[in-house]
Amino acid sequence: MNQQLAGYAPTPVAARMENHGPAMLKVAMAGGQDLYARTGSMVAYEGFVQYEPNPSAVRQIAAQWLTGEGTPLMRCSGDGLLYLADYGADVVVINLDNDSLSVNGSNVLAFDAHLQWGVEKVKGLAKFAGQGLWNVTIGGTGWVALTSRGTPIVVDCGRGEDETYVDPDALVAWSPNLKVKGKRSFKASSLIGRGSGEAYQMAFSGEGIVVVQPSEDSTDRLRIRG
Amino acid sequence: MAREFQRGHKAKLSDLTPGTDLYVGVQIAAPGLTFDISCFGLDADEQLSDDRYFVFFNQPKTPEESVQLLGAQAGDTESFRVTLDRIPEHIHKLSFTATVDGAGQMSQIGPGYLRIVAGGEEVVRYAFTGSEFSTERAVMLGDFYRKDVWRFAAVGQGFDGGLDALLKNFGGEVAEEEPAPQPGSAAPPAFAPPAGPAPGFGAPQAPHVPQAPQPPAPSFGAPPGPPQPAVAAPVHSAPTMAAPLAPGTVPPPAPAPAPYGQPAQPPFGQVPGQTPPPGPPPGAPPAGVPQGTPQAGPGLQAALQAYREAPTGQRWTSQNQQLMRADLTVGGTPVLARQGSMVMYQGKVDFGYRGAGFSGRVVGNATGQEMQLMRCTGRGQVFFAEEAAHLHAVELQGDGICVSAENVLAFDETLQHEVRRIEGHGIPGGALFTMMFHGTGTVVVKTRGVPVVLPVTPTTFADSNAIVAWSAASQVILSSQVRLRRNAYPGHSGETVNLQFRGAPGNFIVVQPYEV
Repeated sequence: MNQQLAGYAPTPVAARMENHGPAMLKVAMAGGQDLYARTGSMVAYEGFVQYEPNPSAVRQIAAQWLTGEGTPLMRCSGDGLLYLADYGADVVVINLDNDSLSVNGSNVLAFDAHLQWGVEKVKGLAKFAGQGLWNVTIGGTGWVALTSRGTPIVVDCGRGEDETYVDPDALVAWSPNLKVKGKRSFKASSLIGRGSGEAYQMAFSGEGIVVVQPSEDSTDRLRIRG
Repeated sequence: MAREFQRGHKAKLSDLTPGTDLYVGVQIAAPGLTFDISCFGLDADEQLSDDRYFVFFNQPKTPEESVQLLGAQAGDTESFRVTLDRIPEHIHKLSFTATVDGAGQMSQIGPGYLRIVAGGEEVVRYAFTGSEFSTERAVMLGDFYRKDVWRFAAVGQGFDGGLDALLKNFGGEVAEEEPAPQPGSAAPPAFAPPAGPAPGFGAPQAPHVPQAPQPPAPSFGAPPGPPQPAVAAPVHSAPTMAAPLAPGTVPPPAPAPAPYGQPAQPPFGQVPGQTPPPGPPPGAPPAGVPQGTPQAGPGLQAALQAYREAPTGQRWTSQNQQLMRADLTVGGTPVLARQGSMVMYQGKVDFGYRGAGFSGRVVGNATGQEMQLMRCTGRGQVFFAEEAAHLHAVELQGDGICVSAENVLAFDETLQHEVRRIEGHGIPGGALFTMMFHGTGTVVVKTRGVPVVLPVTPTTFADSNAIVAWSAASQVILSSQVRLRRNAYPGHSGETVNLQFRGAPGNFIVVQPYEV
């Protein structure tokens, strides 16, 4: 039995954040290098890691999306190895090198606490506000982990002569310098999008990238569980 | 149109295409085998005098990037980008080879091909099958060679000894070859990234590579196409898990990004946790190396390199296992797709209603929901995906296929299609709706999980909930097996509805591991 399972033992730590398989994130924690992670995403840890589920820093930054049930981020600190996962979604690890990225809130798994970050609402999309969706812009130099339902795709926005339109349910992340606007497709109203009759897309224009997941399931599983 | 080459055929590349920025795709597959596909840049004496011109999984490009390894995509097991203009003078020949990784021989391979795509159009296809080979473990598939001008030759010559023999053939530097070019026989070495030429795989190409629309931009994450998902998928997606399954194999040949940055094979039997790892990156206990080397190089671009968009060119491109891109500008005809399956589009695309005539007939399938189609017209690229299901592009050339209506994601409007109803007791909703396609075009079929394709024999049965598709020439019979099982759970009627298939040899059915 040990033989078969031994292959799933953790690999030696080589970086602050690594994938363990496609769907699990391994974070090497050390003193003084705190981490923000989605509340409820911890699946295992080794060593001495402490969790602060409702950090005041988050409360201040994220006042917009607080709906009274506590923040969706927890602050993790300590020494050890931390394993995070979000219901089997693919995990994408990004080492920001003085870059910045806007991430759909339910696709954030973890990021270094020393990064600059802020929460914003995307203008023009009533749907976002209604669902309590939020959008985190993360910048600086450090590590970020995203989740994606299925293998994501990255496209250059500026490639086509026209804008790039994305189903908001499938959107994962984008470059913050892109211009974003909501678009309602009149021709197909009630045909595109998920059944609700809301035929919204988000239109991106400018130089930058857009990350999209192959699923229109934007259910925030960690949130639902509470 | 693509010219079909036979073994031994030669032609000037300028006769085939005016372009010099070429995409070379190789498809080769055999059950249970993996292949290393490499390109040797040889000098005038057909020797590998400069080993920086040996492009393979550990060295994905030449110094001036005239030959780049792009990875599996668009149905190709491996692909290269060759920029003929930039190939230095001393390189006289590019030889594309495939070697079996591990045990196995070339006679086991199924139909494969080497193709050249220029400007989005396939110009040459050299097809081969396992019956042309016997016990060879390596094969030289085709050559680009310089004789006044660049020419292409379909070679198809086998080698018994695998990659070793090939290397010897090209200059005998095997003795000092270092552990880099690894035939499958040896135990996996530490698999350190090669020192000089090829650092983290994605890093060097990071900034703005796929700017130009036509040239095949790197897209490393693209999974193998429909024919061989079972072979490649597990290895690529989970390097740490590959170890117990196949202790003797070398890390995947195709450029999954992870292996390059991975320090070593997972340590077997390591006590999980507190013990400092015995592997190569020493010196630090688990918690001590937080800001260490990134897997693919620092920066946003490098991290996302693995998920880059596949190069444009074909009408239907499988971006990864779960995403399909339709380029409406190629072919110019509209695409019909299931409503809500569009996740993204670029360009000017209109989405319209398909018309009630069709959808009216599909009303009331299993769940009682309508299947509605939208018609995508215009100029641009549309990306389709649904619930992260696996997508397979089935190209029809005059033949027919029946697909369970729930599993149709999108198809060319040029295809003729009709809806059929298979009625029977026990099928949820009273009937199974299928769509029969025939003509010339592509159907995108979605499956939950990796499907199985079975030949139709006199005793082929499938669960009506798990069936995805079958070739239109086979005949469907409903066989209800009414059987009162003693251990039938409460609420279970004891009745199972199976579909039986009959047909001439050559027909097949596709079943998914998920009962809708």
